[in-house]
Amino acid sequence: MSWFRRNDTGSIAKERLKLILVQDRALLSPSLLNEMKGKIIEVINSYLEINQNEIEIKIGRESRRTTLEAIIPVKGVKKSHR
Amino acid sequence: MGRVIVVTSGKGGVGKTTITANVGASLAKLGKKVVVVDMDIGLRNLDVVMGLENRVVYNIMDIAEGRCKINQALVREKHLSNFFLLPASQMHTKEDVNIETVYEIISIIKESFDYVLLDSPAGIENGFKSAVAPAEEALIVVTPDVSSVRDADRVIGLLENKGIEGISLIINRYDSTLVKKRKMLDKNDIVDVLGLDLIGVVPENKAVIDSENRGEILVLTTNNVATKAFENIARRMEGEDVPFLNLVPEKRGIFSIFKRGE
Repeated sequence: MSWFRRNDTGSIAKERLKLILVQDRALLSPSLLNEMKGKIIEVINSYLEINQNEIEIKIGRESRRTTLEAIIPVKGVKKSHR
Repeated sequence: MGRVIVVTSGKGGVGKTTITANVGASLAKLGKKVVVVDMDIGLRNLDVVMGLENRVVYNIMDIAEGRCKINQALVREKHLSNFFLLPASQMHTKEDVNIETVYEIISIIKESFDYVLLDSPAGIENGFKSAVAPAEEALIVVTPDVSSVRDADRVIGLLENKGIEGISLIINRYDSTLVKKRKMLDKNDIVDVLGLDLIGVVPENKAVIDSENRGEILVLTTNNVATKAFENIARRMEGEDVPFLNLVPEKRGIFSIFKRGE
């Protein structure tokens, strides 16, 4: 068994660390993040026709900077606002 | 007006106290007037690491509670006339510390020193908060392991929220032999993940333990690679552009036996 065990524990540590920090650095819990997504979609949806299945909203943190990234494909303006 | 710098880590046992003592002494060797302050109220250690435990009369809580003047509590280091210790109290707990009072004491002290190094306790509770409150800059100490780096990341977030801008990273107990064998986190990976400026890498070194056993400060008694690492940190703090030591282990050739003991 142990023949197949990875020996480069330093690299394993690095991978684990990266995963742990992604979780630690998350500002919102998954349920709050979903709640926020719902509200953002609701607001945008009242002005624009959007493709709800292709929406991507995530909070990213690279090095020491936190960003909110939202990719929302727009089909057009809502009929009622034309 | 001196620089007030907190030495902190989140996780305990990574070498904050050793680094405070040795970086403080290195700055003093450069001619700076330095005081190191033990902020670990209730569990004082810096006096022992510096071998000054028998000279402690008063401590920072005595100043805070009006039992002595600041000068009476400062303990001068045995070899350097410009290097001082302000000891912690053993009789109090971290909850007894009034953050505003500590802030006031440190702001008076910094008037007459070039450097005030605050040795923070582990954790992120009251003891940490009172060590961080008077600080304008921070040295984050990590060892190359997952839990230490994770805790450091948390602490860095707290320091940034507090508005501390000059945050530098010290990697302690670094073993290049293990890193080369891919058995330890590489210093570049730690720097990448934490996104801080690296100000020093202190190699794992037996002489550090020896000097602590004797109650001596390494940089004042020994001249080896760890001493050099501490001195380089002090010089970088002074703004000097010092290249990092090449800690890559030498190849052990057939003649290496003659080099032992270096």
